[in-house]
Amino acid sequence: MTEPTSSAQKGALRELRDAVIVVWWRFFDWLAVVSWTKLLLVSGLGFILAGILQHPIPWLMFVVASVIIKIIAGGKRRAELSADEATQRAHTEQLQRTVVEARMEALQAQIEPHFLFNTLASIDQLIRTDPPRASKMQQSLIRYLRSAMPQMREGRRPTLGQQVGLCTAFLEIMAVRMEDRLQVVINVPEGLKSAVFPSMMLQTLVENAIKHGLEPKTEGGRVEIRAEVVDGQLAVHVLDTGLGFAPKGEGGVGLANVRERLAALYGERAELVISVPPAGGTCATIQVPYETVPAAT
Amino acid sequence: MPQTRAPTAVIADDERLMREQLADALKDAWPELAIVGEAANGHEAIALVQSLEPDVAFLDISMPGMDGVQAAQALAGAVHVVFVTAHDEYAIKAFEQGAVDYVLKPAEVERLRLTCQRVRERVQQDPDPMEALLAQLSQRLGGAGAKPREYLRWVQASVGSNIRMIPTGEILFFRAEDKYTRVQTARFEALIRKSIKELLDELDPEEFWQIHRGTVVRVDAVDQVSRNLAGKQVVHLKGSDEKLEVSRSFTHLFKQM
Repeated sequence: MTEPTSSAQKGALRELRDAVIVVWWRFFDWLAVVSWTKLLLVSGLGFILAGILQHPIPWLMFVVASVIIKIIAGGKRRAELSADEATQRAHTEQLQRTVVEARMEALQAQIEPHFLFNTLASIDQLIRTDPPRASKMQQSLIRYLRSAMPQMREGRRPTLGQQVGLCTAFLEIMAVRMEDRLQVVINVPEGLKSAVFPSMMLQTLVENAIKHGLEPKTEGGRVEIRAEVVDGQLAVHVLDTGLGFAPKGEGGVGLANVRERLAALYGERAELVISVPPAGGTCATIQVPYETVPAAT
Repeated sequence: MPQTRAPTAVIADDERLMREQLADALKDAWPELAIVGEAANGHEAIALVQSLEPDVAFLDISMPGMDGVQAAQALAGAVHVVFVTAHDEYAIKAFEQGAVDYVLKPAEVERLRLTCQRVRERVQQDPDPMEALLAQLSQRLGGAGAKPREYLRWVQASVGSNIRMIPTGEILFFRAEDKYTRVQTARFEALIRKSIKELLDELDPEEFWQIHRGTVVRVDAVDQVSRNLAGKQVVHLKGSDEKLEVSRSFTHLFKQM
């Protein structure tokens, strides 16, 4: 007969213990983050109240205990709480950034069918007339295609060296196809090749220089990739002597993408600038904070 | 056209490898066809056709200077035209209507045999001027013809001694200042020589609103509109502390805001 009662008592006891634990930790958290002035104020008010009730000593002991707890554990607890919050915020931001970045990379990675078919046709012709050159061009194409497949770009942070390498592959292909209508100059100091540089941005600039600047120009011209560090910023320029920038028309989707991605990755610390060199043509510059990738292990 | 003489052709493509590829494939597909000339752009193609008077012209659609469609328009009726293209779904659709043939790059010998057969049948007749097809094609390729109006998407402006191209989406407002017009973005200001009036002709009226005789603001850059002490509407911007006054004749713009 006593069985149910005792189990009910046990249950109630357990609930009471849980409630006390919750209250204690609430109090502990409050104690950890409350300011000293507020704690002093509350203690003073409590003291007056305890004085009226004629029990000032237990209250005084309670206050002293609180102060000791706050001194010993408060700092740590406070740090934990703010760290939790920061981690959560950073996590959300990181996630947002990753999603935006992935979406934009996928957009950017679309290979122009015109480019692909024309290149394959050129390789087809070279296989018959100049097989070693065909093989070289095919290798350039493979390197270039690899860069354009998002799933192949996972892993470490992309470097300027990699990005310039991929652009060189593209330009090598175009130089074979356009022959003397295209001169390529790569002016990137060896020391800057380990600098961090976002993927698929330089490609967009270089492809624009060819597609909108030099390919439509009868006599062709020159394209140059140049990199320098100015005031802690890495500036990478793509200069062409082509037709120049057309201010109208819906083009510029690629550039808008680069701009959005720069903003997502660096906020105000990066910039895409399009300028017109005095001699004509177009100069596109991407500026990002200069940082290097630690050597691969 | 007399059948005693071997048929002749010119090939136009801006890439030499492409011309060679097509010439080699044609050698297999149509051995008696003589390639009498090669051109690297539309202008050269026209000159060649006019001086050599070939039976057929193989024209690449995308070429610098003058493209294949423009060249075909200029040559209408003077030569049988076969278009060559790497990839163009619009062009292919148009060609399917049957006026002339098209060849996809890289040209395959089997496919070229069919082309040659079609051309051989046509060589007996006068070339089709293909007016309707060409007009349609050139419109699809963004050439001449009725096009929707294009607005400024980039503004060329001086920043110090440099000339920069600023995307219109980054501009907060334009403001008339003496001889120049100031272009303000969230990051910098620049100057252009165009007047507000000239700009208004070129800017997309959906994107930019004139709010004062000397002020044009980008609609999306407007944060809020308030009234100042004098009772005038004042535009507050996103990304700048500068406030822009709305003159009386433009206050209706912000009625709904």
